[in-house]
Amino acid sequence: MSRLNVVFLLIFIGVLVWITMFSPDAVDRIQRGAMSLFEPVTKSGDGIKDFIAGEEEDAISVAEMKERLEFAERDRDRLRLEVLQMDELIYENNSLRQALLYKERAPQSLIAARVMSRKPSTWYNTLIIDKGENDNVKPDSPVIVPAGDDAALIGKVSEVRGDNTAVVLLLTDEMCQVSAKLMNTPEQGILSGQRGMLKNLPELKLRYLSKEADAQPGQLIVSSGSGGLFPPDLILGEVQRYDVGVIDAEAVIRPIVDFDSLKDVFVIRPDIVEEAEAPGTTDASEVQAVPKPENGQ
Amino acid sequence: MIFFFLVAAMLAGSFFLQEFIPFFAWAYYARFLLVHTAFYCAAVSVPFPVMLLFALVCGFIWDARYHVPVQAINEAGVSSGQVELPFGFTIFIFGLLGAFIQGVRPLFRRGRWELPVFLIGFATALSILIEYLVISFHRGGLDFPYELWWKILVTGLFSTAASPFLLLLLSKLAQMVGYKIQLTGITRKYTFET
Repeated sequence: MSRLNVVFLLIFIGVLVWITMFSPDAVDRIQRGAMSLFEPVTKSGDGIKDFIAGEEEDAISVAEMKERLEFAERDRDRLRLEVLQMDELIYENNSLRQALLYKERAPQSLIAARVMSRKPSTWYNTLIIDKGENDNVKPDSPVIVPAGDDAALIGKVSEVRGDNTAVVLLLTDEMCQVSAKLMNTPEQGILSGQRGMLKNLPELKLRYLSKEADAQPGQLIVSSGSGGLFPPDLILGEVQRYDVGVIDAEAVIRPIVDFDSLKDVFVIRPDIVEEAEAPGTTDASEVQAVPKPENGQ
Repeated sequence: MIFFFLVAAMLAGSFFLQEFIPFFAWAYYARFLLVHTAFYCAAVSVPFPVMLLFALVCGFIWDARYHVPVQAINEAGVSSGQVELPFGFTIFIFGLLGAFIQGVRPLFRRGRWELPVFLIGFATALSILIEYLVISFHRGGLDFPYELWWKILVTGLFSTAASPFLLLLLSKLAQMVGYKIQLTGITRKYTFET
C-alpha cells in the first residue's frame, strides 16, 4: 500500500472513531437534520405508491367502461363506479369515526398520528409517524390503536426525530418488551417480539409465567401496567400455545393488530401514563423500558 | 476529477431513490439496498482514498437517516447501557468492505464483471449479516432462523442483479469524461497491463 493511501486510511479511522464518539444529543441533531431533508421524499414515497395504486384502479375502471359502452350501458356503469367510491368513502369515514370516538372516549390524552413510513430499518421493527416535538411526543410514549371498544398497544416511541417526526419501535420487535398478564388473572410475565424483523405477525413470547398459569388458547393478553411505562389493560394479543418448562412457563402469543396495514395511530402523552400508574405498583425488576442512551453510548 | 463528482451524484441519487424502495414480505422483509449496491459499484471504479471518502459520506448519511439508537438489554430486561449499533457503524462497514471490493478493480478495468458483480452482492449481504451479528452479540444469544438466511440471501441477490446496470452506468460515465481506472494503492502489487 502506498504511503498516501496509508495516510488516508489513518485519517479515515480517526474520523470514524470521532463520529462513533458523538454524544446522543449530537446524533439526535444530525438525525433531525437528515429527517427534515428526507421528509418530503419520505412523504412523496407513500404518495407515489398511492398514486400507482389509484392508477391501477382507474385502468380497470376504464377497461370496464369501454366494455360496457359496447352494450350501451354507460350510465349504469358510472353509477356503479360512484357507488363503489361511496362504499370506500363510507368505509374510510367509519374507520376515522371509530378512531375519533375512541379518542373522545379514552381516559388518556391522545395524540393522533398518521404513519408516514413503514419499516425504514433493516433489523428493527419500526415505523415513522408524522407527529413529533411540536405535539409533545416524547421517547418511550406508548403508541396504541383502537381495537373494538378497547385499545391495543402497538409499540412505543423510540426517538423523536424532529418537529413532526418520530420513530415507533413496534411490539413485534425483541427490544420492545412489555410487562403483560393473562386477562382476568393475576398471572404476569414479560412479552417480547422477534429479532431481526423477519415476519409481519411473528409469534410473541410471554415468558416467566408461573407453572400454574394454565393459559388457554384464545385467552387475551393485556399490559399489566407494572413498571409505569405502559398503562394497564391495553390488549397485546391472544394466546396461541402454552408450554410449561422446568422452572416457569411460556406462552406463544399472536398479535391482534395487522402491523402492515397501520395508517392512523395514537400516542399516549407520557405525563398521562405517569398519572395513570397506581402508587405502589412499580417494581424495578419489571421496568421494560429501553431508555435512551445518556452517555456516549 | 469530473468522474468522481458524477459518481458522487449517482450516490446522492441512490439515497433519494432508496426512499421509494419497499420491503418484500415474501422474502421476510428483505429489500433492495440501492445505496449499498451503488457504493460497492463505485468502490470498484475509484481510487482507494476516494473510496474511503465515499465510505465516510455514504455511511454517515445512511446512519443519519436509518440509524435506530436502541440500547441492548439482557435476558433479565436490564439495559447494558450501550447502543447496539453505534452511530457510524455503517461507515466502518463501507470502509471495510469497500477496501475488500477494491481488490477486483483490475478485473473491472479489463471488462470482466463476473467476479465484481458477485462480490458486490456478497458484500451487500455481508453488510447486513455483520449488523445482525453485532445485534446478536449485544443480546447475548445467537439465533439464526431459516428466515434470516433467506432475507440476507435475497438482499444479496437484489444487489447482484442490479450491479451490472450500475457498473455499466459507471463505465459509460468514465468513457464520457475520459476517466481511466488507475491501478494504485492496495492493488498495485498485482497490476498488469491490458
